[in-house]
Amino acid sequence: MKLNFGFRVWLLIIVLLLSVLAIAPWGYFQSGVVIKSVDVNSSSFDQGIKAGEIIKSINGQIITDKSSYANVTDSIFIDNSSKRIDLVTDKNEYILFTNNSLGLTIDSIPKTRIQTGLDLRGGARALVQPDAVITDSQLNDLIQISTNRFNVFGLSDVQIRGVTDLAGNKYMLVEVAGATPNDLESLISQQGKFEAKVGNTTVFEGGKQDIADVCRNDATCAGITNCGSDGQGAYVCEFRFTLYLTAEAAQRHADITRNISLDSTSKYLSQKLYLFVDGNQVDELNIGADLRGSSTTQISIQGPGNGKTQDEALQNAKDNMKKLQTVLITGSLPYKLNIVKLDTISSSLGDQFTYSILLAGFFALLGVSIIIFVRYRKIKSSLALLFTSFSELVIILGVAALINWNLDIPSLAGILATIGTGVDSQIVILDEARRGVSTSMKEKIKRALFIILASYATALASLLPLYWAGAGLFKGFAVTTIIGITAGVFISRPAFAEMIKRIEGN
Amino acid sequence: MENTQITPNSSNHISNKNWYDRHYKLLLIIPLILFLFSIIYLTLFYHSNGDIFYKDVSLTGGTTVTVFDGNVSLVNLRSSLISQFPDLIVRGISDISSGKQRGFSLETKSNSSEIKSALESYLGYNLTSDNSSVEFSGASLSTGFYQQLRFAIILAFTLMAVVVFVIFRTPVRSLSIILAGLGDIIMTVCVIDILGIQLSTAGIVALLMLIGYSVDVDILLTTRVFRHRDGNLNQRIFGAFKTGITMTLTAMASIAIALIFTFSISSTLAQMFTIILIGLAFDIVNCWVMNASILKWYAEVKKIE
Repeated sequence: MKLNFGFRVWLLIIVLLLSVLAIAPWGYFQSGVVIKSVDVNSSSFDQGIKAGEIIKSINGQIITDKSSYANVTDSIFIDNSSKRIDLVTDKNEYILFTNNSLGLTIDSIPKTRIQTGLDLRGGARALVQPDAVITDSQLNDLIQISTNRFNVFGLSDVQIRGVTDLAGNKYMLVEVAGATPNDLESLISQQGKFEAKVGNTTVFEGGKQDIADVCRNDATCAGITNCGSDGQGAYVCEFRFTLYLTAEAAQRHADITRNISLDSTSKYLSQKLYLFVDGNQVDELNIGADLRGSSTTQISIQGPGNGKTQDEALQNAKDNMKKLQTVLITGSLPYKLNIVKLDTISSSLGDQFTYSILLAGFFALLGVSIIIFVRYRKIKSSLALLFTSFSELVIILGVAALINWNLDIPSLAGILATIGTGVDSQIVILDEARRGVSTSMKEKIKRALFIILASYATALASLLPLYWAGAGLFKGFAVTTIIGITAGVFISRPAFAEMIKRIEGN
Repeated sequence: MENTQITPNSSNHISNKNWYDRHYKLLLIIPLILFLFSIIYLTLFYHSNGDIFYKDVSLTGGTTVTVFDGNVSLVNLRSSLISQFPDLIVRGISDISSGKQRGFSLETKSNSSEIKSALESYLGYNLTSDNSSVEFSGASLSTGFYQQLRFAIILAFTLMAVVVFVIFRTPVRSLSIILAGLGDIIMTVCVIDILGIQLSTAGIVALLMLIGYSVDVDILLTTRVFRHRDGNLNQRIFGAFKTGITMTLTAMASIAIALIFTFSISSTLAQMFTIILIGLAFDIVNCWVMNASILKWYAEVKKIE
């Protein structure tokens, strides 16, 4: 077999192979589930199981996917007795003894490295605008504080970045993958200015300056203390957690309380400690008589949670505690934030979308093949054309996987359109090659490439403004399409010209 | 091989030549009428609606709620919510293979909490991120988006025009391409208005794509007519036509197929594909009737054979 395809075809083949490597479709050949995270309080954690390992079997039963994992674990943890569990991953074998869940969050093994956008896999996206004009460094601070908040809150799969639009407006774009927490809105937009006051004097504020530590996830100093009916058909639960002040804030507390008189019971001071979040009072605490003038570094914070049922009240109290802890740790933002766009997208239709688009792509290509074959009646040239279109698709997906680009619905439309223009360019090459007797094949290809390059330049010119318009929400579309047409013009179409030169030149 | 290819072309062109040579200037009336009609229609439309097209909530601000519930009667849903949300638009979402309703989406300029609570009380269950998607855009953001996208369209068109000028240098050759591009856009917008389609941000993106892509065939025509010298003028035009119409029809076929497979599931994709499809159809007229006639006229004046 002769392999002298010429430089351009070889280049296409190499880029094609690299693209396949970038896409890494090995997930199709693997079974099991991948561990996304390991609970620190679980025996799995104690045994050294790590996120990223792929669970192959549990107690000898093969795990193929998420549902088989659920079936196996459900049957093991049917009661609360302690059991031995043999867990085999791709890296190691573990023996666990536990009476409750494994403490693992798992997911399907990703089939490829191609990442889909929020509109396909589900999640939430918020575009947040400060109500004041801010500088780039202030925007970075905002992103830093918000990232901290999400981490403290326990959301890990969150991307936060600053975006600037054509009009120079600055936004913070927050993208949360997967299930959306109900209080996302308040978590994002809450300015989170925490103040503890006695009278009009601020004793301490949220943030590093005054707060040394906040007790969380430790039942000895944080938790729900009591729950009960309020006597009117609703339920109230109370949370309580300990706050550790810095020496400076503790001293301030001593100075402020030193001259306050005791109340009639002599157990408490006559003035209370009021807690405010964003200017709204959230709680008031009695100050024990023994704390007067003392530079105490530990303060017990409490607050309520309400609900129609006890469970609801308990959950509400837990949520309120978490929010207050988050605000206390991360401090406040120097301005108010407005959520100007909030999309929460369910993943329910994601698979259906992908299926429809794949089907659309397949039939579109089939339709094009029929037209091309009917028009040219040349099997070799038509196949070369289809091969080239297909490689353009693989190259776009490969580059997208390589740069971790999230493919959203508009990007997919962009890909389809790119393939469409790719076919157009190949038709130009094919027709130029078959026209006229007087010109050499080299000249014909040169002419075809001129037309293609000119078309490329106009397409590029018309897509570039989209990169900046609309706070970067169309960036995905612009980037995918530009990658596609650029790869087409510089790699696949010259290769196609080479193929046609050889096929038609004979 | 190539000789046999030329023969049918030449015979075609001989049979068409006389008619085409005599009437090509007259043919310009067709795009002229389309141009005039579109401009008048859009002007009237602008006067009665304050803009040249209807805008959906992604450009005006508002909420889109998508609920994955195939058992809701869309007619009843609409009639019970319309008094509270007069601008409500209800769309069904169905499965492409079975045609079965998979859910529905609602669009209104109201904010997300209003429509959500009204919908929840109608459906009798809470909307969560498992059973629904909610997209909300504030009015000022959407208006800002719209202004930027409008600016992007003007910028894109200008950049495209500059690129065309740089490539072809002479005013008539460049302007006829730019005019064809302009015709594609305004005629498409006109048809969108007539069809009553509310343009979304994705729709504007599709118009931008149209700017870049629709001039491809015009570039091919101009290049073949002026930069190549094989065959006479008509032969070059017909040769370009044969290539160009294959390009446009292939593109239209693939977009139409994509539209069929996606219109029931994604209004975003459906709108993008519809716009590109309409634009490509107009490009056939604008390129092969208008641009070709202008170029032929110009070539004859300049005595280019």
